[in-house]
Amino acid sequence: MDKLLRDKKAIVVFVAPAFLLFTFILFIPICQSVYYSFCEYNALTKPEFIGLENYKQLFTIDRTMKIALKNSLFFLVFSVVTQLIAGLILAALLTNIKRGRDFFKNVYYLPCVLSSAALGLLWMFVFTPKLGINQILAQFGIEGPLWLMDTKGFIILPMWVIASVSLWQYVGQSMMLYMAQISGISSSLYEASYIDGCTKAQAFRHITLPLIRPMVATAMSLNAIGSLKFFDLIFNMTEGGPNHMTDVLATHLYAQGFKYFKYGYASAIGTVLLVMCLIVTFIINKFVKVENYEM
Amino acid sequence: MKKAGKRKSKISTKIIYIFLSLLAVIYLLPLLWVIYVSLKDDKTLFVSPWALPERPMIENYTFAWTAGRLGVATLNSIFVCGITLVLCLLIGSMAAFAIGRMRWKLSGLMMTYFLTGMMIPVHCILIPVFTRFSKMHLTNSQAGLILPYLTLSLPITIFIMTGFFQSLPNELFESACIDGCSIYRSFTHIALPLSKTGLFVTGLMTFVANWNELLLAMVFISEDAKKTLPVSLSKFVGPYNTNYSQMFAAIVIAIIPTIIVYCLFSNQIVEGLTAGAVKG
Amino acid sequence: MKKKVLSVLLSAAMVASMLVGCGGGDTPAAPAADNAGSQDTASAGDEAGGDGVQEITWMFWDDLNATEDLISIGYRDTVERFNKDYAGKYHVNVVTTNLEEYYAKLNALVAAGETPDCFIVSPGPNLDVYVDPGVAADLTDYLKADGWLDTFNGGEGAFSQQTYDGKIYAVPLNIAAACVFYNTEMFEKAGITTMPTDWQGMLDACEKLQGAGYTPLTISAGTAWCLSMLAGYLCDSEGVDLAAIDSGNASWLDSNVVNATNKLVEISKYFQPTAAGDTNDVATANFYNEEAAMLIQGSWAIAQINGANPEFEDKCGVFAFPGTDGRVIAKSDSLAMSANTAHPEAVIAFMKYFTDDTAQKYTAEVGGKIPVTTVEYDASKAPAQLEYVMDVFGNAKSTFGFYNESMATTEAGACFDDAMVAIYLGTPVEEGLATVEDFYKNNVWNK
Repeated sequence: MDKLLRDKKAIVVFVAPAFLLFTFILFIPICQSVYYSFCEYNALTKPEFIGLENYKQLFTIDRTMKIALKNSLFFLVFSVVTQLIAGLILAALLTNIKRGRDFFKNVYYLPCVLSSAALGLLWMFVFTPKLGINQILAQFGIEGPLWLMDTKGFIILPMWVIASVSLWQYVGQSMMLYMAQISGISSSLYEASYIDGCTKAQAFRHITLPLIRPMVATAMSLNAIGSLKFFDLIFNMTEGGPNHMTDVLATHLYAQGFKYFKYGYASAIGTVLLVMCLIVTFIINKFVKVENYEM
Repeated sequence: MKKAGKRKSKISTKIIYIFLSLLAVIYLLPLLWVIYVSLKDDKTLFVSPWALPERPMIENYTFAWTAGRLGVATLNSIFVCGITLVLCLLIGSMAAFAIGRMRWKLSGLMMTYFLTGMMIPVHCILIPVFTRFSKMHLTNSQAGLILPYLTLSLPITIFIMTGFFQSLPNELFESACIDGCSIYRSFTHIALPLSKTGLFVTGLMTFVANWNELLLAMVFISEDAKKTLPVSLSKFVGPYNTNYSQMFAAIVIAIIPTIIVYCLFSNQIVEGLTAGAVKG
Repeated sequence: MKKKVLSVLLSAAMVASMLVGCGGGDTPAAPAADNAGSQDTASAGDEAGGDGVQEITWMFWDDLNATEDLISIGYRDTVERFNKDYAGKYHVNVVTTNLEEYYAKLNALVAAGETPDCFIVSPGPNLDVYVDPGVAADLTDYLKADGWLDTFNGGEGAFSQQTYDGKIYAVPLNIAAACVFYNTEMFEKAGITTMPTDWQGMLDACEKLQGAGYTPLTISAGTAWCLSMLAGYLCDSEGVDLAAIDSGNASWLDSNVVNATNKLVEISKYFQPTAAGDTNDVATANFYNEEAAMLIQGSWAIAQINGANPEFEDKCGVFAFPGTDGRVIAKSDSLAMSANTAHPEAVIAFMKYFTDDTAQKYTAEVGGKIPVTTVEYDASKAPAQLEYVMDVFGNAKSTFGFYNESMATTEAGACFDDAMVAIYLGTPVEEGLATVEDFYKNNVWNK
């Protein structure tokens, strides 16, 4: 058994295709991009090496970067926490009902399969004062707030709105991952626990939760990385406006790289993003993932 | 005692159903609104967004279909995303098997290596990848789109599948080993079938991501006959104004194939669920 | 042993990829001259396939089949005409994206040495980006060669935004002027008989309209450049000199900028209540659906207005933004040629089709934009509003570009736009302008 699993030739055969593809199409460009982050580069002329200048500007002068960092961190915390809780609750509820499970599961997962660009546009419409929710509220004599333009407070209203929309869109994914993992739990465990007089809630607490812990780490890492790279919804709902108040790292990167042609500078933002993702993934795996359970 | 418990559970079941139904409304309402808007014209859309259209504007759909060339675009998207999906599941789960199941020193490092791919925004690598592909004459071809899609889908596939392979019971592999099963056979005949649910979940996730991808498709493909669906949808955004109702019609058309694929896959996941015997 | 081989292999691959990655830094953006080679081979392939036909590509920011924009439809006709007339000799292939991804794709193509032979570009800092590194070709000689230049209205003056050091790098196709569109019926009912000609007159008109129960002005602060167009007019009428600011001889905190911004705040109380959240499309719809009396927009809006509400054409009047001393904001679409193109003659022939009488007539009569040449067109066929816009444009003493397209960089323009939106949303004037001042300190004046 052990010898079989240490078969070097088999390992190479299994890993090589993915490794080669990844190295040549993704990893080398990533390295190139990191190199550009030390350059002044507009894609039209040769990159010119300027050392740490981009990073210096990014962390000392750039106002938008501060807002973007704040918003990205808010997003990270919001989505990791809410997706974990809401995803687990939904997965637990759905695995425990008999009728309509498929229907509810399909409905909740539906936004995940639709394009975030289209959904962003849809929600932008819904929150436009002239067209959407505010018109309905007006019927009841309520004057709705400027959902996407309000700029008061530390975390401004548009960020809460966008964060809620992203929860709406992606919670189905967490739910699905948890459900997929729960489906792998042996039924004998539950049967044994019920014989021992466990309630469903207790069974969830003492059997399901520990056993899906590796998947919690996986789903959390996916959420964390996804929320740090978050782009489509914001870009289509506010494009970072008003006055960069809803910019996150990815939209700031896009504006610098593709609106103002500062690819070197944009690459520096990308590198910061990469490092943040690495740190967060490391933390999650350190604290959430425990020794794998042998089932 | 027992009776009271039963009644309590009945009430709680009711509450659960009410909660789930309300949530379902929040999910379906905005999507129904898209269909509703797609049947209006731009003028009435701005005057009275919630009023019923005088008559449904079916021509929004015919215009979107013909002017946007959505037929060709749908075929292109199916071709590109289908091939990507199959290759990605195969190559990705092979690597995941080696990382999650086999024993070698560098497996952890290899995992981290692949993970970096998930962390870099696609905007950063666009120019380097494009210039390289251009030299290899891969731009403006579907192969040139499949390769980056495949590669961008690999990290997440490997990440999730590794988790699934790791959670498979050891005994199965041990008994297979005793029966003289080769490592390749135990991959194709034990690991893969047992991780069906995982394959469906990751397959769905990566397929959907590629199906909706716009930036790479826009930059890599110039020829109209090779454009994919998201690119064709963006045709309705003009430089100064947007044909919202037509665009929403196009969006509805574009959603349909995704929903079909989704239903195929999600039912498989349900099968996995019931097979996993969660007694409720 | 095998293990060792594997790990050596792995680390070798990683090191190699690092090296390639860093060394690769200078390969993708090889200087323009190097790219000529690959360009040639690419076009040679095209020629072989096309029986000696010279294939060129034109890149544009709107899909020519799905568009409802009348100007874009005119471009489609021009392309068809060109391909038909030159069948067997030249052929143009059109590559389109939407505006959002346009520059991303164009720059990727340039970086890869596949610059399209001909591409559309906005004048101002956007064009600078292509002129400075030599991506766009000098067109002066072609323009002067056979009297092409003389067909333009105003001769070389028509190229003021496309000229760098006396050399012309792009050809304008049509002009849009920013004006005040107004609802004649509402003005009548509010008792306004003469159009405002100065700032006080404008405020009085707004007051009267509001008194008559109308929303005086519809504008979009959700689409930053719309608000910034108004701000641009106000700054210009206060005598703000952008060139002086660019060179560091004037500041964003000078009293004239502050006055202009105060005026913006002053008039903002006449905006529609949802201005902060309305996009450009919604703001324009407010006007043609007769929910507001005035709209400050570029003349491209004519097609949109008449297209969405044809009955409104008769009620729609136009006047020049008051108090600017005869200066009008104008914007033109321009075509540039790749410096590496293998078929400059084909590209020039193609460009000429955009400025010939057929195309320019269409521009005025159907597209509703101001022609760049001295073409005679049938004013009765053109939308009613074009005549008024032509009057405004004809009476203008001078023109200036879009404010955000007249600054040092695209980013500086966006910074100005954002500051104006922030001020409209309640940021104190000085604080808002200080952000623009800071941007110039850090990015413009120190360079």
